[in-house]
Amino acid sequence: MKKKASSRKKSEFIWGWLFILPTMLGLIILNIYPMIDTVRQSFYKTGDFGKGNIFVGLNNYEKVLGDAEVWQALANTVKYAIVEVPLSIVIALLLAVLLNKKLKGRDVFRTILFLPMVVAPAAIAMVWKWLYNSNFGFINNVFHIKVNWISDPKIAIFSIAVIGIWSVIGYNMVLFLAGLQEVPRDYYEAAALDGANGWQQLIHITVPLISPTMFFVLVTRVIGAMQVFDLIYMMIDLNNPAWKKTESLVFLFYKYSFEQSKKGYGATVVVVLLVVILLLTVMQLIVQKKWVHYE
Amino acid sequence: MKLRKIMALCMAAVLAASLTACGAAPAADTAAPAAEAPAAAAEEEAPQDMGGSVEGELNVTIWDEGQRPGLQEIVDDWSAQSGVKATIQVVDWNNYWTLLEAGATGGELPDVFWMHSNVAQKYMENDLLMDLTDKIAASDKIDLANYYEGIVNLYKSNDKQYAVPKDIDTIALWYNKTIFDEMGVPYPDDTWTWDDFAANAKKLTNDDHWGYAIAPGNNQEGYYNTIYSMGGYVISDDKKTSGMDDPNTIQAVKLFTDMIADGSCPDLATVSETAPNELLQAGKTAMAINGSWMLAGYRDNEYTAQNCDVAVLPYYKDPSDRVSIYNGLGWAASANTKNPDAAWSLIEYLGSKEAQLKQAELGVTMSAFKGTSDAWVKSVDCFDLNGHMKMLDAKLVFRPYSRDTTVWEDMMIEKLQDAWTGEKPVDEVCKDIAAEMNADLAEE
Repeated sequence: MKKKASSRKKSEFIWGWLFILPTMLGLIILNIYPMIDTVRQSFYKTGDFGKGNIFVGLNNYEKVLGDAEVWQALANTVKYAIVEVPLSIVIALLLAVLLNKKLKGRDVFRTILFLPMVVAPAAIAMVWKWLYNSNFGFINNVFHIKVNWISDPKIAIFSIAVIGIWSVIGYNMVLFLAGLQEVPRDYYEAAALDGANGWQQLIHITVPLISPTMFFVLVTRVIGAMQVFDLIYMMIDLNNPAWKKTESLVFLFYKYSFEQSKKGYGATVVVVLLVVILLLTVMQLIVQKKWVHYE
Repeated sequence: MKLRKIMALCMAAVLAASLTACGAAPAADTAAPAAEAPAAAAEEEAPQDMGGSVEGELNVTIWDEGQRPGLQEIVDDWSAQSGVKATIQVVDWNNYWTLLEAGATGGELPDVFWMHSNVAQKYMENDLLMDLTDKIAASDKIDLANYYEGIVNLYKSNDKQYAVPKDIDTIALWYNKTIFDEMGVPYPDDTWTWDDFAANAKKLTNDDHWGYAIAPGNNQEGYYNTIYSMGGYVISDDKKTSGMDDPNTIQAVKLFTDMIADGSCPDLATVSETAPNELLQAGKTAMAINGSWMLAGYRDNEYTAQNCDVAVLPYYKDPSDRVSIYNGLGWAASANTKNPDAAWSLIEYLGSKEAQLKQAELGVTMSAFKGTSDAWVKSVDCFDLNGHMKMLDAKLVFRPYSRDTTVWEDMMIEKLQDAWTGEKPVDEVCKDIAAEMNADLAEE
């Protein structure tokens, strides 16, 4: 009897690994190996076409820490994240609560709000570029104003964050909608009997009960926002006066690694980003004890 | 619980790292940074891969969608003779270099592709391009003396030839006849000096349009011409020192900053959001300085075809200092192509007088083969392309380059912003650029 169980365990073990093997292989080849290689490259001054790499120890890191452009890019990235993450979560939550009620045309609204998520970032950027254009753009011409939305260094990063919010709301909303399905109706009925209004119900029932979902969205959005690249790449080019104030860390990595072929230095920039993201995530994991309620 | 948290953390880390490691594949193009920029920007999804060499079929890769139809016709002529199929693939300028480098690193270059002055030296030194020296010597179709010298030399390293010249470009002054008529200014001609240019730009400016629009990211279609016209230089002949702090260079850049300051040229914000060629096509600027590769774009745009024409660039003090910064692409083959004979045969054909003449006749570009430009001038009715052709008789200066051109070129474009916006004085910006450029050149 005992022996049989262990052989069954053994076969379960083998089959288990067999089933996750394709995913593991993909993960190792496409994610884990490149990740380790990136860290390795950050200690090298890379030569042309991957040949003739020279080991330089921590030189790249010293250079990164003293590079004003890196700090500026970090500041830009943080600015973007600070605007994009909270606003996209709050708006998505409100919309989710609204669209969780029985509304006429509810599915239509849900679809419309989710659409930006499906559209290619390149197309989004092209359309917004023309909306924002200072001379011939839709926004300035409709309101008869003259604002350099994407070429004024002071506001360009926020204009881009607006696009980020717009395109991610739908995704966050769907996650919140899923979370809302788990909240039992009785709580609201009880609260209504006690005379709580909609706002109080939202703050005291909905938010605490879907806090695990909110936590998940928060963590993934912070990571996503810190890695912002495509929108900025599409909207801002080298001539743009707002260039220096909108360049994100991933953009900087792209510039060094691919446009200037300094792969080693680019790798260092991205490792720094990795450390920043890890720190932020650890902090969130600590702070979550204070506000996330698991049932 | 603890274990789960650690796992979650690890997953977050993997997610974070993998997303950054792959980087998002950029689609479509931003404003092309340098010469030979795609005239008709190919608004296609960027391919993830250029595709390597496949036996029995040639993979030809270029970056300009505007030239593809004409070139495909020429390549088809070759296929009819050789019986080998060859397809042209277009990858936009920015992604072209990223993908080509990735291909070079992984040993998967296309069979035949375009080479450019920005990076040619690097590719030649690393033996990534097929050595064509002996093949050219043995060929009865190719004689390097038939091509413009600067382009031939560009693709030569250690006395070996790695590419056959494809085309040559010249820079000229495109203008909107309708706006000139409206403002009562005579059309530009070969008597204009750069001072006349600035003065007339002012006269051509009103609330509806500007006199001239600068392309701050495209040096070849702008300040490089005035720099060499006024006796300055960008990089020394030995490619060791920068000439950006030369007083003549500074004066040449100042010509444009003054125009921005007095309003006859739009401010940086405007041109960074709407490129000068778009402004010309929309009737928003009276003049633009453009390369001959823009022909296809202007020809196919109804507005420019009806309203615009082209003249030679102005000179500084004497017609002899009229300068056109020129550049020329080369047809190169991969060193480890699976079809070396077919690849060479195609390059030989593309460089032959027959194909070079056809390239000009079809209006694809001016050809690198001397004496074929007349055919190019006749390729369109709507413009008098003599403006571009006569620039071949001007002082031709090869577009400044070094081994790692992009590094200092991008830095220069970035720093010049402060000059265009007037935030810092021009001489301060230029001296700053020179210092950093010297440091970059020392590292090459």
